[in-house]
Amino acid sequence: MAKRDKYAIGPALVLALGVSTGCYTGIQELNGGVASGGEGGADDGGDDDGEGPDGLGPEEELPVPTTRFFRLTHVQWENTVQDLFDLDEPSGLSADFRADAREGGFLFDNNATSLEVDEALWSGYQRAAVDMAEIAASDPSILEFIAPDTGDETTRAAEFIRNFGRRAFRRPLTDAEATQYVELFNRGPELYEETTGFAAGVRLVLEAILQSPNFLYRSETSEEIVDGVIPLNSWEVASRISYFLLDTMPDDELLDLAEAGELEDPDRVQEQARRLLENPRAHMVVQKFHHTLLEVEKFQQTAPSPAFYPDAPENLGDLAVQEHDLFLAHTVFDNDGSWGDLLTSTETYVNADLAAIYGLSGDFGDEFTRVDLDPNERRGLFTQIGFLVANATSVHPDPIHRGAYLARHIACHSIAAPPDTVPPVPEGDPDATNRETVIAHTEAPGTECLGCHKPLINPFGFPYENYDSTGAFRTEDNGQTVDASATVALASGAVEVSNAVDLAEAMATDEQVHQCYLEHWTEYTMGRPYDDLDEALVDRLATASVEDASVKELLVEFATSRPFLTRSTEEMQ
Amino acid sequence: MKMHRRTVLKGLGGLSLSLPFLEGLRSAKEATAGEALVQPFAIFMRQANGVASAQSTDVGDEPERFWPSSEGLLSPQSVAGRTLEELDGYLNDVLAVGVDAAPFDYGDGHARGVLQGLTAMGPTVIGSGGEADAAGESIDNRIGRELNPDGRESLFLYAGLNAGWMGGACQSYRAAGDRRAPLHNPVNAYALVTGIDGESLSDMLVERRQSVNDLVREQMAALMANPRLSANDLDRLELHRSAIRDLEGTLSCMLTADEEAALDGAAAGYESTDGDQVLAAVRAHIDVAVLSVACGYTRSVSIQIGNGNDGTTRYRNLDTGEAMENYHYISHRRESHGADGAIIPDSDLLHSMVDRQFAQTFRYLMERLANYPLPQGRLLDAGVAVWHNDQSQGPSHSSLNLPYILGGSANEYFRTGQYVRADGVGTHCQLLNMIGTAAGLRNASGGDLDDFGDPSLPKDPLPQLLA
Repeated sequence: MAKRDKYAIGPALVLALGVSTGCYTGIQELNGGVASGGEGGADDGGDDDGEGPDGLGPEEELPVPTTRFFRLTHVQWENTVQDLFDLDEPSGLSADFRADAREGGFLFDNNATSLEVDEALWSGYQRAAVDMAEIAASDPSILEFIAPDTGDETTRAAEFIRNFGRRAFRRPLTDAEATQYVELFNRGPELYEETTGFAAGVRLVLEAILQSPNFLYRSETSEEIVDGVIPLNSWEVASRISYFLLDTMPDDELLDLAEAGELEDPDRVQEQARRLLENPRAHMVVQKFHHTLLEVEKFQQTAPSPAFYPDAPENLGDLAVQEHDLFLAHTVFDNDGSWGDLLTSTETYVNADLAAIYGLSGDFGDEFTRVDLDPNERRGLFTQIGFLVANATSVHPDPIHRGAYLARHIACHSIAAPPDTVPPVPEGDPDATNRETVIAHTEAPGTECLGCHKPLINPFGFPYENYDSTGAFRTEDNGQTVDASATVALASGAVEVSNAVDLAEAMATDEQVHQCYLEHWTEYTMGRPYDDLDEALVDRLATASVEDASVKELLVEFATSRPFLTRSTEEMQ
Repeated sequence: MKMHRRTVLKGLGGLSLSLPFLEGLRSAKEATAGEALVQPFAIFMRQANGVASAQSTDVGDEPERFWPSSEGLLSPQSVAGRTLEELDGYLNDVLAVGVDAAPFDYGDGHARGVLQGLTAMGPTVIGSGGEADAAGESIDNRIGRELNPDGRESLFLYAGLNAGWMGGACQSYRAAGDRRAPLHNPVNAYALVTGIDGESLSDMLVERRQSVNDLVREQMAALMANPRLSANDLDRLELHRSAIRDLEGTLSCMLTADEEAALDGAAAGYESTDGDQVLAAVRAHIDVAVLSVACGYTRSVSIQIGNGNDGTTRYRNLDTGEAMENYHYISHRRESHGADGAIIPDSDLLHSMVDRQFAQTFRYLMERLANYPLPQGRLLDAGVAVWHNDQSQGPSHSSLNLPYILGGSANEYFRTGQYVRADGVGTHCQLLNMIGTAAGLRNASGGDLDDFGDPSLPKDPLPQLLA
């Protein structure tokens, strides 16, 4: 299901902005043009009347029917194997897995219903299992980690199977499973030439466990219905929260809590969520989420024209990625910052090259250092170099792509694809500004382009006309003063902004922008497309986000919510 | 960390790769007198962005550089000065067809081209542009699904950066909206076909595989026994279960160590943006593709080159040897993925240079097939190779007169050695049905395939293409 259409502009705003309904895949009327909480949604943010007695948050927040088998993403496979064997660094074996197919309309790499194991991937899993088993069986330190020497080989083998199996399957092995692996273990010495004795048994069992569906899928088999939902058992909670916040298997503390049944208590889950967010892997998860949402991979494809920008560093894209990563980690983790902070902060990180683009004076070298930018010129992610250069031609800023990205992915407006054949930009007035050229191309009366560009796309892009193709601030374009003003479609109505600083402030206080951010997190967290049933949770968290709840706190709220800790009584269709 | 054998061998490329001789196949397949040793097959090789054919654009008039000078018999004279002259020496085996696809509203010419290319279907969501998916199965998948041994999926291979427009690989579909993931590294494709990777085939290996597979199958069955599972869960688990293959005790379709090294070297650029490296990887994919159809691993292979608009690959200028601007820019004739940007001088000539490099690569495919002798004829005669393009031309993104260049007659099903312009909306769908028929697909009544593609499109054979 596509993101909700409630963010499509209401009737009043349609009239005010001249939006063409043809611009949307669907429009639903809003009350006064402002996003409402929706039927059954948390409409008052903070009223605990709807709080269930089970500590799982408001009762109207319900789980969406979803798969019972979440295949590990390739990143999760890699992280899990690293942790299973206590490797100093990733094995790298997942590099040979065939990449998963992209699913149209889903940003992230973890849509569970499309994560399949075909013969090509099975072949990859098989080869990786064989290789990893050989590595482990021939490395005494790994062998000692997964199968500590207890003196008696029979006991040692049994304990290895129980303990390693528990960690690999993220639940205890059944007696039948343990027996089967013991039988396999005993066959090991006769099935290898170069590996002998105990190590051969370990090697064969590892081959089998790493190919088991109980390892490759995070399975949820709970079926008992309690108060209209199916609570996940402690083992399932341990896996959900660990793969959500760390992209890897539960650690020993989580597994022990699961074994004690303590993760059925939301308070313990909350404690664990806060603990896991201190793990460096959580930084990687937050970084990965924002890399995808913010299309950071595009940063590296930038190439400002040397003729127009002779001083631009050749590795500008790489530097922009470094800047972004440092800013993100600093804001979210060092400052415990919010989505609003990411949108409006004047802090960033620069080296000498980026300092020059930002017009900073001072002594800068190759290393990145934290700086405060001019608050009249820069606010947050979208006035930083990465977004600006990734959405620019080699010569000019690109308000169309800047605007389309923000309208779709930050404000969650539904915008139809452009016409099949876009005519070339007409040869225009040589004295025209970039903005004037774009308007001539996209806002001509009677054209198909007008309906989306004039009310939606261009207003989100024009405020960034103050930034050239390297991200440097400019006040003139083609000899004329830059016009960065626009009337932008937000939930609060048609908002007049003078420039990108104004727009950043407007977005940071706009509920729709926060709901949009939380919808993206919902898709990532749950591994499925946004669903109308998610609205109540998203609205509650968006309200908190507008009120400056930190990103980390939002993630804790996700992890302790009813939709996260339970399953629907209905199976997925 | 243990090094894979393929990693150790990397860099030893440049050796000539000779594929296994048929004697090995003969013993494996136990062919009897008069029986076809190799079943009919289809190998697809896709190019994006149209070809440099005659057209008028906003940057000027462009001469014909691709198609033969006249319809009818292909000859050195008819292809002189045109891209198809790269296939000289095989012209008798070539059937060059211009077909018309349907004007489905994908919201983007590239999406319409590449997603319709092997499906003859419209989008799952109208007008969704770069986020589109095709609303039906692709012909390569259907051939594999219906004809491969044990229901094995066909091979889907990819070369170039697997990202960007349309998300990278996007031409092969199991069903509406169910896009297949490709094998990117030719070495992994080879490992898949042979079932082993750097290991010596032995009774111990076979037994180990069997022991592990038996246990895994039992665990899969236990998971699938839950009667509450959704259809999606069951389908995915079934796909997984069917992917588990046991290792045969004998393998006749393995390469020698030197040949594996050559494959490894050629494969290295499978995710490059350098056109030479990408096309070298395509040739490695072709080696695996030919091996796989010769050995009966699969009846169909599709090879996609570049993402939805091949917008990252920089092919070589045949005059200067330098890397040109990215292919998508060249096809647009401008320094842009859109409609703006400076005009690229002589871009139609540059586009033609890309076409020629694809033609050379297709020739390599034909040569590999031709060099496989069968008791009667060549492997090339037993199936059909298809070099197809998403669009007819770059600037217009047109779906009329799409180049589908066929190599091989599929046991004299196609009338090769000619150039046919098959005009009329839906001739593309008709051709896909014919290719399916040539590869062995039949309709429910046992007749020629006539149920593939969008129901509204024609499906009867094009008589001018029949032998």
